[in-house]
Amino acid sequence: MTTLIQKIADKSRQLAARSPWIYRINAGSCNGCDVECATTACIPRYDVERLGCQYCGSPRHADIVLITGPLTARIKEDVLRVYAEIPDPKVTVAVGICPISGGVFRESYAVHAPLGQFIPIDINVPGCPPRPQAIIEGVAQAIAIWRERL
Amino acid sequence: MFSSYTYPLAVLLFPGGLFALILGLALKGADRRLAARLQRRVGPPLAQPFYDLVKLARKRTMVPDVAAQPVFLGAPLIGAASMILAAALVPIAGVYTPDPVLGDLLVLLYLLTVPAVVLMVAGSASGSPFGAIGFSREMALMLAYEGPLVLVVMAVALRTGIGQGGWISFSLPEIIAYQQRHGAFLFDPVMWPALAAFIAFYPANLGIIPFDIPEAETEVLEGPLLEYSGPALGLFKVMSALKAVVVLSLGVALFMPLAPSGALGLLAHLAKLLLLMLLGVTVLRVSCGRMRIDQAFRFFLKWPLALSLLSLAIVVIVR
Repeated sequence: MTTLIQKIADKSRQLAARSPWIYRINAGSCNGCDVECATTACIPRYDVERLGCQYCGSPRHADIVLITGPLTARIKEDVLRVYAEIPDPKVTVAVGICPISGGVFRESYAVHAPLGQFIPIDINVPGCPPRPQAIIEGVAQAIAIWRERL
Repeated sequence: MFSSYTYPLAVLLFPGGLFALILGLALKGADRRLAARLQRRVGPPLAQPFYDLVKLARKRTMVPDVAAQPVFLGAPLIGAASMILAAALVPIAGVYTPDPVLGDLLVLLYLLTVPAVVLMVAGSASGSPFGAIGFSREMALMLAYEGPLVLVVMAVALRTGIGQGGWISFSLPEIIAYQQRHGAFLFDPVMWPALAAFIAFYPANLGIIPFDIPEAETEVLEGPLLEYSGPALGLFKVMSALKAVVVLSLGVALFMPLAPSGALGLLAHLAKLLLLMLLGVTVLRVSCGRMRIDQAFRFFLKWPLALSLLSLAIVVIVR
Protein backbone atom coordinates (compact mmCIF):
# COMPACT_ATOMS: atom_id res chain seq x y z
CA MET A 1 0.00 0.00 0.00
CA THR A 2 2.69 2.47 0.96
CA THR A 3 4.71 1.54 -2.10
CA LEU A 4 1.67 2.19 -4.29
CA ILE A 5 1.23 5.64 -2.76
CA GLN A 6 4.95 6.24 -3.21
CA LYS A 7 4.68 5.19 -6.85
CA ILE A 8 1.74 7.50 -7.51
CA ALA A 9 3.54 10.36 -5.80
CA ASP A 10 6.67 9.77 -7.91
CA LYS A 11 4.63 9.55 -11.10
CA SER A 12 2.74 12.74 -10.36
CA ARG A 13 6.05 14.47 -9.64
CA GLN A 14 7.42 13.39 -13.00
CA LEU A 15 4.28 14.59 -14.77
CA ALA A 16 4.23 17.86 -12.87
CA ALA A 17 7.83 18.58 -13.80
CA ARG A 18 6.76 18.72 -17.46
CA SER A 19 4.71 21.84 -16.89
CA PRO A 20 7.03 24.68 -15.85
CA TRP A 21 5.40 28.06 -16.29
CA ILE A 22 7.64 31.04 -16.80
CA TYR A 23 7.29 34.53 -15.40
CA ARG A 24 9.51 37.48 -16.25
CA ILE A 25 10.56 40.17 -13.79
CA ASN A 26 12.25 43.26 -15.15
CA ALA A 27 14.48 44.56 -12.36
CA GLY A 28 15.41 47.80 -14.12
CA SER A 29 16.76 46.19 -17.24
CA CYS A 30 17.60 48.20 -20.38
CA ASN A 31 15.06 45.99 -22.24
CA GLY A 32 17.74 44.19 -24.26
CA CYS A 33 17.41 40.94 -22.32
CA ASP A 34 13.62 41.28 -22.22
CA VAL A 35 13.54 41.42 -25.99
CA GLU A 36 15.63 38.25 -26.09
CA CYS A 37 13.33 36.53 -23.56
CA ALA A 38 10.27 37.53 -25.55
CA THR A 39 11.98 36.34 -28.72
CA THR A 40 12.62 32.91 -27.29
CA ALA A 41 8.93 32.59 -26.53
CA CYS A 42 7.39 34.23 -29.52
CA ILE A 43 9.20 33.29 -32.65
CA PRO A 44 8.70 29.82 -34.09
CA ARG A 45 12.35 28.95 -34.27
CA TYR A 46 13.00 29.02 -30.52
CA ASP A 47 9.67 27.64 -29.28
CA VAL A 48 9.87 26.91 -25.53
CA GLU A 49 6.29 25.66 -25.40
CA ARG A 50 7.58 22.29 -26.56
CA LEU A 51 9.28 21.97 -23.16
CA GLY A 52 5.85 22.50 -21.63
CA CYS A 53 6.68 26.09 -20.74
CA GLN A 54 4.11 28.80 -20.90
CA TYR A 55 4.62 32.49 -20.26
CA CYS A 56 2.14 33.59 -17.65
CA GLY A 57 0.93 37.07 -16.79
CA SER A 58 0.66 36.57 -13.05
CA PRO A 59 3.46 35.79 -10.56
CA ARG A 60 1.02 33.53 -8.71
CA HIS A 61 0.97 31.09 -11.65
CA ALA A 62 4.73 30.93 -12.06
CA ASP A 63 7.25 28.15 -11.45
CA ILE A 64 10.36 29.51 -13.12
CA VAL A 65 11.25 33.19 -12.81
CA LEU A 66 13.45 34.96 -15.34
CA ILE A 67 14.91 38.11 -13.81
CA THR A 68 16.62 40.69 -15.98
CA GLY A 69 18.35 43.92 -15.01
CA PRO A 70 20.74 45.20 -12.35
CA LEU A 71 18.10 45.74 -9.62
CA THR A 72 17.88 49.53 -9.56
CA ALA A 73 17.26 51.24 -6.25
CA ARG A 74 13.97 52.55 -7.50
CA ILE A 75 12.48 49.13 -8.27
CA LYS A 76 14.13 47.00 -5.56
CA GLU A 77 11.16 46.84 -3.15
CA ASP A 78 8.71 46.01 -5.92
CA VAL A 79 10.90 43.23 -7.28
CA LEU A 80 11.24 41.66 -3.83
CA ARG A 81 7.49 41.91 -3.30
CA VAL A 82 6.61 40.30 -6.65
CA TYR A 83 9.22 37.61 -5.99
CA ALA A 84 7.58 36.81 -2.64
CA GLU A 85 4.22 36.45 -4.37
CA ILE A 86 5.43 33.48 -6.43
CA PRO A 87 4.30 30.28 -4.71
CA ASP A 88 6.93 27.68 -3.76
CA PRO A 89 8.55 25.62 -5.19
CA LYS A 90 10.18 28.07 -7.59
CA VAL A 91 13.43 28.35 -9.54
CA THR A 92 15.16 31.64 -10.31
CA VAL A 93 17.07 32.29 -13.52
CA ALA A 94 19.06 35.52 -13.77
CA VAL A 95 19.22 36.57 -17.41
CA GLY A 96 22.00 38.85 -18.64
CA ILE A 97 25.19 40.14 -17.07
CA CYS A 98 23.40 42.85 -15.06
CA PRO A 99 22.02 40.66 -12.25
CA ILE A 100 25.51 39.16 -11.78
CA SER A 101 27.69 42.28 -11.64
CA GLY A 102 25.65 45.24 -12.81
CA GLY A 103 27.12 45.07 -16.30
CA VAL A 104 27.60 48.50 -17.79
CA PHE A 105 25.82 49.98 -14.76
CA ARG A 106 28.19 48.47 -12.16
CA GLU A 107 29.32 50.69 -9.28
CA SER A 108 26.48 53.09 -9.97
CA TYR A 109 24.88 54.62 -6.88
CA ALA A 110 21.45 53.80 -8.33
CA VAL A 111 22.06 50.06 -8.67
CA HIS A 112 22.11 47.25 -6.05
CA ALA A 113 23.92 45.08 -8.50
CA PRO A 114 24.63 41.54 -7.39
CA LEU A 115 21.03 40.37 -7.31
CA GLY A 116 22.19 37.33 -5.35
CA GLN A 117 22.37 39.43 -2.18
CA PHE A 118 18.58 39.69 -2.07
CA ILE A 119 17.18 36.75 -4.02
CA PRO A 120 18.53 33.18 -4.16
CA ILE A 121 19.58 32.64 -7.78
CA ASP A 122 19.78 29.12 -9.20
CA ILE A 123 20.97 29.71 -12.75
CA ASN A 124 22.95 32.54 -14.28
CA VAL A 125 22.68 33.19 -18.01
CA PRO A 126 25.41 35.76 -18.68
CA GLY A 127 25.54 37.89 -21.82
CA CYS A 128 24.68 41.39 -22.87
CA PRO A 129 22.17 40.33 -24.04
CA PRO A 130 22.47 36.51 -23.97
CA ARG A 131 21.59 34.60 -27.11
CA PRO A 132 18.16 32.92 -27.25
CA GLN A 133 19.85 29.52 -27.26
CA ALA A 134 21.59 30.43 -23.99
CA ILE A 135 18.29 31.47 -22.42
CA ILE A 136 16.65 28.20 -23.51
CA GLU A 137 19.62 26.32 -22.06
CA GLY A 138 19.12 28.21 -18.81
CA VAL A 139 15.42 27.37 -18.78
CA ALA A 140 16.22 23.69 -19.46
CA GLN A 141 18.65 23.63 -16.52
CA ALA A 142 16.06 25.38 -14.37
CA ILE A 143 13.54 22.65 -15.24
CA ALA A 144 16.06 20.03 -14.06
CA ILE A 145 16.46 21.86 -10.74
CA TRP A 146 12.72 22.33 -10.46
CA ARG A 147 12.14 18.61 -10.86
CA GLU A 148 14.27 18.06 -7.73
CA ARG A 149 12.40 20.67 -5.75
CA LEU A 150 8.88 19.53 -6.51
CA MET B 1 -36.57 10.14 -6.38
CA PHE B 2 -33.16 8.63 -7.01
CA SER B 3 -34.33 5.06 -7.37
CA SER B 4 -31.36 3.89 -9.43
CA TYR B 5 -27.63 4.38 -9.24
CA THR B 6 -27.32 5.57 -12.82
CA TYR B 7 -27.61 9.30 -12.05
CA PRO B 8 -24.49 9.54 -9.90
CA LEU B 9 -22.65 7.42 -12.45
CA ALA B 10 -23.80 9.66 -15.30
CA VAL B 11 -22.75 12.77 -13.41
CA LEU B 12 -19.43 11.51 -12.08
CA LEU B 13 -18.19 9.00 -14.64
CA PHE B 14 -19.44 8.63 -18.17
CA PRO B 15 -20.79 11.68 -19.93
CA GLY B 16 -20.05 14.00 -17.03
CA GLY B 17 -17.16 14.04 -14.60
CA LEU B 18 -14.15 11.94 -15.47
CA PHE B 19 -14.96 11.25 -19.14
CA ALA B 20 -15.76 14.88 -19.89
CA LEU B 21 -12.67 16.07 -18.03
CA ILE B 22 -10.32 13.77 -19.95
CA LEU B 23 -12.07 14.68 -23.22
CA GLY B 24 -11.90 18.40 -22.44
CA LEU B 25 -8.20 18.28 -21.56
CA ALA B 26 -7.47 16.28 -24.72
CA LEU B 27 -9.37 18.84 -26.80
CA LYS B 28 -7.34 21.63 -25.19
CA GLY B 29 -4.15 19.72 -25.92
CA ALA B 30 -5.14 19.26 -29.56
CA ASP B 31 -6.00 22.95 -29.74
CA ARG B 32 -2.60 24.02 -28.40
CA ARG B 33 -0.80 21.58 -30.66
CA LEU B 34 -2.56 22.74 -33.81
CA ALA B 35 -2.14 26.41 -32.83
CA ALA B 36 1.61 25.82 -32.53
CA ARG B 37 1.73 24.04 -35.90
CA LEU B 38 -0.19 26.88 -37.55
CA GLN B 39 2.42 29.28 -36.18
CA ARG B 40 5.17 26.93 -37.41
CA ARG B 41 6.20 25.96 -33.92
CA VAL B 42 6.74 22.48 -32.55
CA GLY B 43 4.22 22.94 -29.81
CA PRO B 44 3.62 21.14 -26.52
CA PRO B 45 2.79 17.43 -26.27
CA LEU B 46 -0.88 16.50 -26.57
CA ALA B 47 -1.05 15.65 -22.88
CA GLN B 48 0.26 19.07 -21.80
CA PRO B 49 -3.03 20.15 -20.13
CA PHE B 50 -2.86 16.98 -17.96
CA TYR B 51 0.68 17.86 -16.87
CA ASP B 52 -0.42 21.41 -16.09
CA LEU B 53 -3.26 20.11 -13.95
CA VAL B 54 -1.02 17.68 -12.03
CA LYS B 55 1.48 20.48 -11.48
CA LEU B 56 -1.18 22.88 -10.20
CA ALA B 57 -2.49 20.20 -7.84
CA ARG B 58 0.97 19.95 -6.26
CA LYS B 59 1.49 23.67 -5.74
CA ARG B 60 0.32 25.91 -2.91
CA THR B 61 -2.80 28.03 -3.06
CA MET B 62 -2.03 31.51 -1.76
CA VAL B 63 -4.89 33.71 -0.59
CA PRO B 64 -4.24 37.47 -0.75
CA ASP B 65 -4.73 39.43 2.50
CA VAL B 66 -7.40 41.62 0.95
CA ALA B 67 -9.40 38.74 -0.54
CA ALA B 68 -12.71 37.51 0.86
CA GLN B 69 -11.40 34.04 1.67
CA PRO B 70 -14.58 31.86 1.67
CA VAL B 71 -15.80 33.34 -1.60
CA PHE B 72 -12.30 33.32 -3.11
CA LEU B 73 -11.86 29.61 -2.43
CA GLY B 74 -15.52 28.63 -2.94
CA ALA B 75 -15.95 30.16 -6.40
CA PRO B 76 -13.78 27.65 -8.33
CA LEU B 77 -15.48 24.74 -6.54
CA ILE B 78 -18.94 25.93 -7.56
CA GLY B 79 -17.78 26.56 -11.13
CA ALA B 80 -16.25 23.11 -11.57
CA ALA B 81 -19.23 21.38 -9.91
CA SER B 82 -21.76 23.14 -12.12
CA MET B 83 -19.89 22.12 -15.25
CA ILE B 84 -19.64 18.48 -14.08
CA LEU B 85 -23.43 18.46 -13.72
CA ALA B 86 -23.92 20.25 -17.05
CA ALA B 87 -21.80 17.65 -18.86
CA ALA B 88 -24.27 14.97 -17.73
CA LEU B 89 -27.19 16.96 -19.18
CA VAL B 90 -26.06 16.93 -22.82
CA PRO B 91 -27.09 13.82 -24.73
CA ILE B 92 -24.75 12.01 -27.11
CA ALA B 93 -26.79 10.79 -30.08
CA GLY B 94 -27.17 7.05 -30.10
CA VAL B 95 -25.05 6.60 -26.98
CA TYR B 96 -26.40 8.48 -24.02
CA THR B 97 -29.77 10.05 -23.22
CA PRO B 98 -29.90 12.07 -20.00
CA ASP B 99 -32.70 11.18 -17.64
CA PRO B 100 -35.35 13.93 -17.52
CA VAL B 101 -34.92 13.92 -13.73
CA LEU B 102 -31.49 15.56 -14.15
CA GLY B 103 -32.85 18.50 -16.12
CA ASP B 104 -33.66 19.76 -19.60
CA LEU B 105 -32.33 22.39 -21.97
CA LEU B 106 -33.40 25.27 -19.71
CA VAL B 107 -31.43 23.89 -16.75
CA LEU B 108 -28.46 23.54 -19.09
CA LEU B 109 -28.79 27.18 -20.17
CA TYR B 110 -28.73 28.30 -16.54
CA LEU B 111 -25.77 26.06 -15.73
CA LEU B 112 -23.89 27.48 -18.73
CA THR B 113 -24.01 30.96 -17.21
CA VAL B 114 -22.46 29.73 -13.95
CA PRO B 115 -18.79 29.78 -15.11
CA ALA B 116 -19.04 33.42 -16.19
CA VAL B 117 -20.76 34.37 -12.93
CA VAL B 118 -18.16 32.43 -10.95
CA LEU B 119 -15.36 34.25 -12.77
CA MET B 120 -16.98 37.58 -11.94
CA VAL B 121 -17.36 36.62 -8.28
CA ALA B 122 -13.79 35.33 -8.17
CA GLY B 123 -12.44 38.49 -9.76
CA SER B 124 -14.19 40.77 -7.33
CA ALA B 125 -13.41 38.57 -4.31
CA SER B 126 -9.70 38.55 -5.08
CA GLY B 127 -9.44 42.24 -4.20
CA SER B 128 -7.15 42.96 -7.13
CA PRO B 129 -7.81 45.90 -9.44
CA PHE B 130 -7.14 43.69 -12.45
CA GLY B 131 -9.73 41.25 -11.12
CA ALA B 132 -12.21 44.12 -10.90
CA ILE B 133 -11.55 45.11 -14.52
CA GLY B 134 -11.94 41.47 -15.54
CA PHE B 135 -15.21 41.38 -13.60
CA SER B 136 -16.72 44.32 -15.47
CA ARG B 137 -15.54 43.02 -18.84
CA GLU B 138 -16.83 39.52 -18.15
CA MET B 139 -20.22 40.98 -17.25
CA ALA B 140 -20.44 43.10 -20.41
CA LEU B 141 -19.39 40.17 -22.59
CA MET B 142 -21.85 37.82 -20.91
CA LEU B 143 -24.72 40.26 -21.43
CA ALA B 144 -23.72 40.45 -25.08
CA TYR B 145 -23.49 36.72 -25.91
CA GLU B 146 -26.14 35.30 -23.60
CA GLY B 147 -29.03 36.86 -25.57
CA PRO B 148 -28.12 35.29 -28.93
CA LEU B 149 -27.57 31.91 -27.23
CA VAL B 150 -31.05 31.92 -25.67
CA LEU B 151 -32.61 32.94 -28.99
CA VAL B 152 -30.71 30.22 -30.89
CA VAL B 153 -31.91 27.61 -28.42
CA MET B 154 -35.44 29.03 -28.68
CA ALA B 155 -35.31 28.76 -32.47
CA VAL B 156 -34.20 25.13 -32.35
CA ALA B 157 -36.77 24.27 -29.69
CA LEU B 158 -39.55 25.99 -31.66
CA ARG B 159 -38.58 24.25 -34.90
CA THR B 160 -38.71 20.89 -33.13
CA GLY B 161 -41.91 21.66 -31.25
CA ILE B 162 -43.77 22.98 -34.30
CA GLY B 163 -42.49 20.12 -36.44
CA GLN B 164 -43.98 17.70 -33.93
CA GLY B 165 -47.30 19.49 -34.11
CA GLY B 166 -46.92 21.09 -30.71
CA TRP B 167 -45.53 24.47 -29.71
CA ILE B 168 -42.06 24.41 -28.18
CA SER B 169 -39.86 21.56 -26.99
CA PHE B 170 -37.06 22.09 -24.49
CA SER B 171 -36.07 18.44 -24.35
CA LEU B 172 -32.72 17.70 -25.99
CA PRO B 173 -33.54 14.01 -26.63
CA GLU B 174 -36.68 15.14 -28.48
CA ILE B 175 -34.65 17.63 -30.54
CA ILE B 176 -32.23 14.87 -31.48
CA ALA B 177 -35.02 12.41 -32.28
CA TYR B 178 -36.69 15.04 -34.48
CA GLN B 179 -33.49 15.61 -36.43
CA GLN B 180 -32.96 11.86 -36.82
CA ARG B 181 -36.36 11.70 -38.48
CA HIS B 182 -36.23 14.90 -40.58
CA GLY B 183 -32.52 15.47 -41.21
CA ALA B 184 -29.99 17.53 -39.24
CA PHE B 185 -30.60 21.26 -38.76
CA LEU B 186 -27.13 21.73 -40.22
CA PHE B 187 -28.65 21.10 -43.69
CA ASP B 188 -31.90 22.97 -43.03
CA PRO B 189 -31.72 26.47 -44.63
CA VAL B 190 -34.28 27.75 -42.14
CA MET B 191 -31.80 27.13 -39.32
CA TRP B 192 -28.70 28.59 -40.98
CA PRO B 193 -28.97 32.02 -39.35
CA ALA B 194 -29.21 30.34 -35.94
CA LEU B 195 -26.22 28.17 -36.80
CA ALA B 196 -24.20 31.25 -37.75
CA ALA B 197 -25.16 32.91 -34.47
CA PHE B 198 -24.08 29.81 -32.54
CA ILE B 199 -20.75 29.74 -34.38
CA ALA B 200 -20.17 33.33 -33.24
CA PHE B 201 -21.32 32.52 -29.71
CA TYR B 202 -19.17 29.61 -28.71
CA PRO B 203 -15.71 31.18 -29.05
CA ALA B 204 -16.96 33.99 -26.81
CA ASN B 205 -18.27 31.58 -24.22
CA LEU B 206 -15.01 29.64 -24.28
CA GLY B 207 -12.95 32.82 -23.91
CA ILE B 208 -10.98 32.37 -27.13
CA ILE B 209 -8.80 35.11 -28.57
CA PRO B 210 -10.97 37.62 -30.35
CA PHE B 211 -13.24 37.45 -27.28
CA ASP B 212 -10.82 36.68 -24.43
CA ILE B 213 -11.22 40.25 -23.25
CA PRO B 214 -11.98 39.49 -19.56
CA GLU B 215 -8.84 37.34 -19.17
CA ALA B 216 -6.62 39.23 -21.60
CA GLU B 217 -3.12 38.25 -20.49
CA THR B 218 -1.34 41.19 -22.00
CA GLU B 219 -3.82 43.80 -20.77
CA VAL B 220 -5.30 42.76 -17.44
CA LEU B 221 -2.93 39.88 -16.60
CA GLU B 222 -5.58 37.15 -16.81
CA GLY B 223 -8.07 39.33 -14.93
CA PRO B 224 -10.12 37.29 -12.46
CA LEU B 225 -7.52 34.48 -12.39
CA LEU B 226 -4.66 36.85 -11.52
CA GLU B 227 -4.54 36.06 -7.79
CA TYR B 228 -5.24 32.33 -8.07
CA SER B 229 -2.53 29.73 -7.70
CA GLY B 230 -2.18 26.00 -7.14
CA PRO B 231 -5.24 23.73 -6.80
CA ALA B 232 -7.72 26.65 -6.93
CA LEU B 233 -6.34 27.70 -10.31
CA GLY B 234 -6.43 24.03 -11.33
CA LEU B 235 -10.16 23.96 -10.58
CA PHE B 236 -10.63 26.87 -12.97
CA LYS B 237 -8.71 24.91 -15.63
CA VAL B 238 -10.99 21.93 -14.95
CA MET B 239 -13.99 24.22 -15.28
CA SER B 240 -12.89 25.62 -18.62
CA ALA B 241 -12.02 22.16 -20.01
CA LEU B 242 -15.45 20.85 -19.01
CA LYS B 243 -17.11 23.95 -20.39
CA ALA B 244 -15.51 23.33 -23.78
CA VAL B 245 -16.99 19.83 -23.82
CA VAL B 246 -20.43 21.02 -22.70
CA VAL B 247 -20.69 23.90 -25.17
CA LEU B 248 -19.39 21.91 -28.13
CA SER B 249 -21.61 18.93 -27.28
CA LEU B 250 -24.56 21.31 -27.07
CA GLY B 251 -23.69 22.57 -30.55
CA VAL B 252 -23.52 19.00 -31.85
CA ALA B 253 -26.86 18.14 -30.22
CA LEU B 254 -28.57 21.25 -31.58
CA PHE B 255 -27.32 21.15 -35.15
CA MET B 256 -25.67 17.90 -36.20
CA PRO B 257 -26.59 15.00 -33.93
CA LEU B 258 -26.95 12.33 -36.61
CA ALA B 259 -24.78 9.35 -35.69
CA PRO B 260 -24.95 5.56 -35.58
CA SER B 261 -25.55 4.05 -32.16
CA GLY B 262 -22.99 2.30 -30.01
CA ALA B 263 -19.22 2.73 -30.04
CA LEU B 264 -19.30 4.12 -33.59
CA GLY B 265 -21.67 6.86 -32.44
CA LEU B 266 -19.32 7.81 -29.63
CA LEU B 267 -16.43 8.01 -32.10
CA ALA B 268 -18.51 10.17 -34.45
CA HIS B 269 -19.36 12.44 -31.52
CA LEU B 270 -15.68 12.80 -30.57
CA ALA B 271 -14.78 13.55 -34.19
CA LYS B 272 -17.43 16.28 -34.35
CA LEU B 273 -16.21 17.83 -31.11
CA LEU B 274 -12.63 17.83 -32.39
CA LEU B 275 -13.75 19.41 -35.66
CA LEU B 276 -15.71 22.15 -33.88
CA MET B 277 -12.76 22.80 -31.56
CA LEU B 278 -10.08 22.95 -34.25
CA LEU B 279 -12.06 24.89 -36.87
CA GLY B 280 -14.09 27.17 -34.63
CA VAL B 281 -11.53 27.79 -31.91
CA THR B 282 -7.95 27.10 -32.94
CA VAL B 283 -7.99 28.54 -36.43
CA LEU B 284 -9.95 31.55 -35.17
CA ARG B 285 -7.61 32.29 -32.29
CA VAL B 286 -4.39 32.09 -34.27
CA SER B 287 -5.75 34.25 -37.10
CA CYS B 288 -7.29 37.10 -35.08
CA GLY B 289 -6.26 39.86 -32.75
CA ARG B 290 -8.17 40.63 -29.60
CA MET B 291 -11.24 42.87 -29.82
CA ARG B 292 -11.89 45.71 -27.41
CA ILE B 293 -14.80 45.13 -25.07
CA ASP B 294 -16.97 47.77 -26.78
CA GLN B 295 -16.25 46.24 -30.19
CA ALA B 296 -17.19 42.78 -28.99
CA PHE B 297 -20.32 44.13 -27.29
CA ARG B 298 -21.40 45.93 -30.45
CA PHE B 299 -20.58 42.91 -32.62
CA PHE B 300 -22.74 40.57 -30.54
CA LEU B 301 -25.67 42.95 -30.31
CA LYS B 302 -25.50 43.48 -34.04
CA TRP B 303 -24.82 40.27 -35.99
CA PRO B 304 -25.48 37.22 -33.79
CA LEU B 305 -28.50 38.86 -32.18
CA ALA B 306 -29.95 39.87 -35.55
CA LEU B 307 -29.26 36.44 -37.02
CA SER B 308 -30.84 34.59 -34.14
CA LEU B 309 -33.90 36.88 -34.19
CA LEU B 310 -34.17 36.31 -37.94
CA SER B 311 -33.97 32.57 -37.41
CA LEU B 312 -36.67 32.71 -34.75
CA ALA B 313 -38.93 34.74 -37.05
CA ILE B 314 -38.41 32.39 -40.01
CA VAL B 315 -39.11 29.34 -37.85
CA VAL B 316 -42.41 30.84 -36.70
CA ILE B 317 -43.43 32.02 -40.19
CA VAL B 318 -42.38 28.93 -42.18
CA ARG B 319 -43.98 26.43 -39.83
